[in-house]
Amino acid sequence: MSLLPYLLRRLAQLVPTLLFIAVVVFLLVRLLPGDPASAMLGDRARDADVARINHDLGLDKPLVIQFLYFLKAVVTGDLGTSITLKLPVTTLIAQRVPVTLLLTAMSAVIAVVLALPLAFLSALRRGKEADVVIRGVFQVGLSMPVFYLGLVLLTVFGARLGWFPVGGYGTGLADHLYHLFLPALTLALSLSAVLMRNLRAAIIAVVGAEYVDFARAKGLRARTVMLRHVLRNALISTVTLFGLSVGTLLGGAGVTETVFAIPGAGRLMIDSIYGRDYPVVQGMTLALAVLVSVTFLLTDILQASLDPRVKR
Amino acid sequence: MKLFQAAALSAALLVSASPAAMAVERGGVMTYGRYADSLFLDPVLNDANVDIWVLSNLYDTLLLPTDDGQGVQPGLATAWKISDDAKTVTLTMRDGIKFSDGTPITTEDVAWSLTRAANPKNGIWNFLVESIDKVTATDAKTVTITLKHPDPAILSALTVFNTAVLPEKAFEASPGDTDEAKAKAFSEHPIGSGPFMLQSWTRGQEMKLVKNPYYWDKGADGQPLPYLDGVTFEVIPDDATRILKLQSGDLDGAEFIPYARVSELKGDPKLNMMLYPSTRVEYVTLNVRPQVAGKDNPLSNEKVRQALNYATNKEAIIQIVTHGVGKPLTSFMSSATPLHTGDKPLYPYDLAKAKALLKEAGFANGFSTSLLVLAGNQDELGIATALQQMWGQVGVKLELSQVDNASRTQQYRDGTFSMRLAAWTDDIADPNEITSYFAYSPTIGALHSGWKNAEVDTLYQASQSEMDRTKRAADYAKIQEIFNATGPTLPLYETPYPVALAKKVNGFLQIPLGNNIFRATWLQK
Repeated sequence: MSLLPYLLRRLAQLVPTLLFIAVVVFLLVRLLPGDPASAMLGDRARDADVARINHDLGLDKPLVIQFLYFLKAVVTGDLGTSITLKLPVTTLIAQRVPVTLLLTAMSAVIAVVLALPLAFLSALRRGKEADVVIRGVFQVGLSMPVFYLGLVLLTVFGARLGWFPVGGYGTGLADHLYHLFLPALTLALSLSAVLMRNLRAAIIAVVGAEYVDFARAKGLRARTVMLRHVLRNALISTVTLFGLSVGTLLGGAGVTETVFAIPGAGRLMIDSIYGRDYPVVQGMTLALAVLVSVTFLLTDILQASLDPRVKR
Repeated sequence: MKLFQAAALSAALLVSASPAAMAVERGGVMTYGRYADSLFLDPVLNDANVDIWVLSNLYDTLLLPTDDGQGVQPGLATAWKISDDAKTVTLTMRDGIKFSDGTPITTEDVAWSLTRAANPKNGIWNFLVESIDKVTATDAKTVTITLKHPDPAILSALTVFNTAVLPEKAFEASPGDTDEAKAKAFSEHPIGSGPFMLQSWTRGQEMKLVKNPYYWDKGADGQPLPYLDGVTFEVIPDDATRILKLQSGDLDGAEFIPYARVSELKGDPKLNMMLYPSTRVEYVTLNVRPQVAGKDNPLSNEKVRQALNYATNKEAIIQIVTHGVGKPLTSFMSSATPLHTGDKPLYPYDLAKAKALLKEAGFANGFSTSLLVLAGNQDELGIATALQQMWGQVGVKLELSQVDNASRTQQYRDGTFSMRLAAWTDDIADPNEITSYFAYSPTIGALHSGWKNAEVDTLYQASQSEMDRTKRAADYAKIQEIFNATGPTLPLYETPYPVALAKKVNGFLQIPLGNNIFRATWLQK
């Protein structure tokens, strides 16, 4: 079976999903108490100013009308203008989303690089010292709050040792990657802990399976058995978990971005929710939804290539 | 001989290291860590401190606030005269002043800028110049402001960010149909006449200002200010990270140092921990309407409010929350506000008095009420839990409700809250702004509390056109007396602005109104 019809089917499914998300986020952000004008003007807002601003923003129109305007704009690729930052939302997305994407991608890579070999080691030395140590360290990593872990890493590797910059984003790709290493590591540690535990359990299960015994009995080399039979089968559930976790990573980037002073989408999203900046919240949610959907799609394709049963 | 040389050398070193002999050094870029980025660099249409507190570096005003934030000194105008009927202000412009693009600043630009600032349709600051009726460019050097009524605060108003002078032609040539659309376009590449100009701005990350070569003022060395080649603002929202960056030398200064870290940073040999006098006051607003949410409201009783005031150990809160940095309030307005009165803390802690007042008011067994707290704000949470314990001793049960700012503002404006925590800073060196919000009911219903005092309203109106400073001071003394005794707030403390600077930074100032002033800042090499 070729991959193309499958891809097209999945992309078609994306349209109703995004429409649903658009409706939900449009309503949710308006259900929050307060409105952009009073959030923006704060405690000193006078009634006349609030009314004037809300009128200028079209927020005194019925919800249905507002939603239709929003939909029409989205279809034409215009996501409106930020109420607080006075910039087009598409500009903000173009500025901020790549930053978060780079951070997330980097932490995903670090998480996999950490989890894969250690899961093997841990599974194959099950119950031995190495296993206990690895699992213990990851447990600590998993249970540390991100903002605290971030600050510890910043203090030790940034301020004390000077190996990495103390927060910020820098200029140019190489500098960005350098600046993003510590925050990516911060995000990666908890993810790799989850991946490691899952993969370790899967390896232990697969190693004991009959087809692995059979492969060994056929006289295949240990390496071949490990890579072709054990790893491939053990990875199936971990890839799914990984895909789901990337969504969580994107969502959790806000805290890390704040601690490390990175101008990413997560931080903007938090500020925009607090500021009741409806157009930004709507636009950013859609952009992130597309990203997460694409990630899911990629993991599904990866999974399909690992496990032919998926495509059926 | 050698010994003599060494002695001479060390003597010379000693002399050069002493502060008195320290000459101003030019050049360099100062990097300053801010907790949040600016939003909108238009002097008239902005609405947040993140803009207000940096605007004066880009846009110059006719007059400048003095360093203590209480008076005025020459700015773009060198002289001013208020007519005998106090309804005309005549200003003489400085010779040879130019915008940062090299074009001359004309009196037409001034008239246009002030007219724009006073337009009630523009932004939220026009009330500060509501007295302005007409602004005329009388000749190439003279600007005449005609007032609707005598305004004792008009000179102070001419130092405030919203009266900054902008180039009319460049602004009006910006794309857009409305004033706001033009302002958006113009403020992306602003042209002002402040000591600096905007070089680049990466939103949420950094803003780079460079020296304005046309700035009018001269430094101690007789050369044009500013001393610095530029200022770079880095946005670092996390307090701990901002401090780390300062300590590691990435920053030359960092604002909003948490009170808990002040004494630690005071001990850091590489830093100067500054506490700049401010107009910031922290207080509880009490809803005094007879009924809230359909139920009788104990806070509507003056005695109950006084009882809660006496039951609050402000010294303890100052220690717990500000680590001793704050000081108790002597009036509802900060002691740095002009015409402030009061020399002793309001409502010293007195449990017996609190209990007696509650008994008199008919609440001998206390009552239950609630307080809105900004979620995630450690200072507010600290105050709230302290109040919970303190008031528990007089039988008042306090329920804490943690909400985000927009939700709180909504309940505040709707008048459905019972109590909320709040902070205030003045924008003008005059008591009129804080008084109009806190006490004068037509503005926002005395902090949306429902409090109304006819005498205060009359006094305030009178004070707004009272040119006799002694009489005006008396009006304000009376307003403060009434408000402090019966008003809808529970004053907690006033705090300075905590700013940490690298030792090499000189001449930086944050005035009581919050403006960060880099015009005479210099870095020691």
